[in-house]
Amino acid sequence: MAEEQINGVIITFFSTASAVGKTLISINMASELAREGYSVCLADFDLQFGDIRNYLRLTPEYTITDLCDSIKADSGNSLMPMLTTYAYEGVSFQVIPNPTKLEEAYNLSPETIIDVLKNLRMQYDYIIVDTTSMFSVLNLALLDISTIVTFLGIVDFIPTIKNMKIGNETLHTLNYDSNKIRLVLNRSDSKTHIQLKDVVSILGEDFYHILHNDFISARESIATGIPLVLNGQESELTQELRALVARYTNKGYKTMEPQKKNSWLSKIFS
Amino acid sequence: MINNNVMLVEGNRLYLEQLSNIIRETETVTLVARFRDAKDALGQGMVFTPNIILLDADTPNIMNLLEEFHQAYPHADIICTGEKWSAESSSLYVNAGAKCFLVKPFSSEELLDAIFAFSKPATGGKDAKVMTFFSPKGKSGKTTLIANLAMAISRKTNASVGIIDADLQFGDMAFFFNLKPQSTIVEAARDTDFLSPVSLNSYFVPVAKNVSILCGTKEPSLIDKVSIHSLETIIDMARTMFQYVLIDVPAGFNPTSIAAAEMADTTYIVTMLNGGYEVQHIQRSLDIFSTWPDYRERVKIILTRVEPCTITAKQEMEEIIGYPVAGIIPNAYLDVATAADDGRMALDLKPNSPLSQRINYLAGKITKKKQDNDDDF
Repeated sequence: MAEEQINGVIITFFSTASAVGKTLISINMASELAREGYSVCLADFDLQFGDIRNYLRLTPEYTITDLCDSIKADSGNSLMPMLTTYAYEGVSFQVIPNPTKLEEAYNLSPETIIDVLKNLRMQYDYIIVDTTSMFSVLNLALLDISTIVTFLGIVDFIPTIKNMKIGNETLHTLNYDSNKIRLVLNRSDSKTHIQLKDVVSILGEDFYHILHNDFISARESIATGIPLVLNGQESELTQELRALVARYTNKGYKTMEPQKKNSWLSKIFS
Repeated sequence: MINNNVMLVEGNRLYLEQLSNIIRETETVTLVARFRDAKDALGQGMVFTPNIILLDADTPNIMNLLEEFHQAYPHADIICTGEKWSAESSSLYVNAGAKCFLVKPFSSEELLDAIFAFSKPATGGKDAKVMTFFSPKGKSGKTTLIANLAMAISRKTNASVGIIDADLQFGDMAFFFNLKPQSTIVEAARDTDFLSPVSLNSYFVPVAKNVSILCGTKEPSLIDKVSIHSLETIIDMARTMFQYVLIDVPAGFNPTSIAAAEMADTTYIVTMLNGGYEVQHIQRSLDIFSTWPDYRERVKIILTRVEPCTITAKQEMEEIIGYPVAGIIPNAYLDVATAADDGRMALDLKPNSPLSQRINYLAGKITKKKQDNDDDF
């Protein structure tokens, strides 16, 4: 019986700096995994102001509030019919939208949300989780239950980098396996006085993966509501997003070493 | 130099001795008389010509006594002393003519602070304006706004301005002013039960003439060290210490931001326009604030990174949001980033930049005696 169940991979996007692209990247990761044929569930656990429903133009019948109610009722019914489907040109995945009413968000218990995830991980290959930028009770529980935590950073002004550093140090104090936490840099070449090497030196750690700044593609994707990896435009950012997914699924992405020749990464790291 | 001739009125025998010793040990201060009975002090104290009276507020009938002391010693400053500060009683004393309230036993420093610190610009009291800066999501530009606004308000009015960085996990205020504070909101919260506004003052770090900051936590786990009750006490005290109090809070609705908003005269919803779903976030927030019957007076909107930063843009946003917009701030990312990276204020960097102009305009609106709804932009 147990062997028939899948114990899905939970990938959480976390950051201690805001507006770093958690939502955009988690949506694209879910889309890319779905495009590759995996069964995927995308959870918006920025409960108060989550934007996945806005981004994907969803008008959900059920939200995390209903899922929590169902779990608490202990009915044994599958939660899957309560998820919202996103589909675009043959690619589809399921979404757990954040509550429709903000006051619901305020009253959800972290334990029940985790129970929902535990239930759903039996049904999906991958569960992608979007979060808020703080060490809340819910976020700490999500970090615990995750298979991989993607700690997202950006090159920004110093206060943001300070918060990334404090966040990264705090993550280390939680004593997760070093493989579990993956530092990913988004918008690496955005307009700022700070250099990537400064960020690396402040954090005292190299980035696992780097996504380059493509404000125009990102904004267009937000405006059209179509994820970058599905919109048919193979921008550099799209390829980097696919490469990130490939690394997470161990599908033989070749440039595991950042110093690979011809990689623009090597220029930055040299 | 003016002599600080202190008359101590203290009903508790033990305190009388303890406080007398502290006063005697304090430089530039002379203990000229001491009484256990307030009536004795009223009748006999005159011969010692005190100019500072420390009056035991735990005495029965303190309100009448205050008035009598005030009449008997019209030129003396009266400092009330008591075992515990409370916003309510403290403001009663101050309204009855006391200069401030000191928790006993006090130290020499606190006594001197009480004597001197409060000779600065008129402090808060019931006319103080407490403002909480709320943002639905992070990266709203509110820390920059608060820091610059505080400076602008103080420059414009010479008023005393206090900033409380209650963004308890990732507060950046210390960074913006390039401070490495010895004491932060964590220590202040720890000590609230023993503090009065006078002693709380020493936890604030001065950053400019009349502007000081209670810095935020140094690491995220310290959030648990600042209880909502102590935060409320700090805000209560700050109200009596400054004419303007600006509070930075964590993004979203959480116990901290809610408590600070509840206590504020005005709550600003600050949001940066990034081409995302900011309007929905503002509307969602307004839904919650609209449970206050007077939310239209208490809740105002400030938009940052507005380009072009024009009155038309402001009116358009009002139309879209369906709520008045109190202020708009232009995009000045590079100026702000440069300033923040150097621990300076964007206003100092480019005093005539559009950013500075908009912030000065907002400061003018806030400090205006008579509030109006004129849209002079």
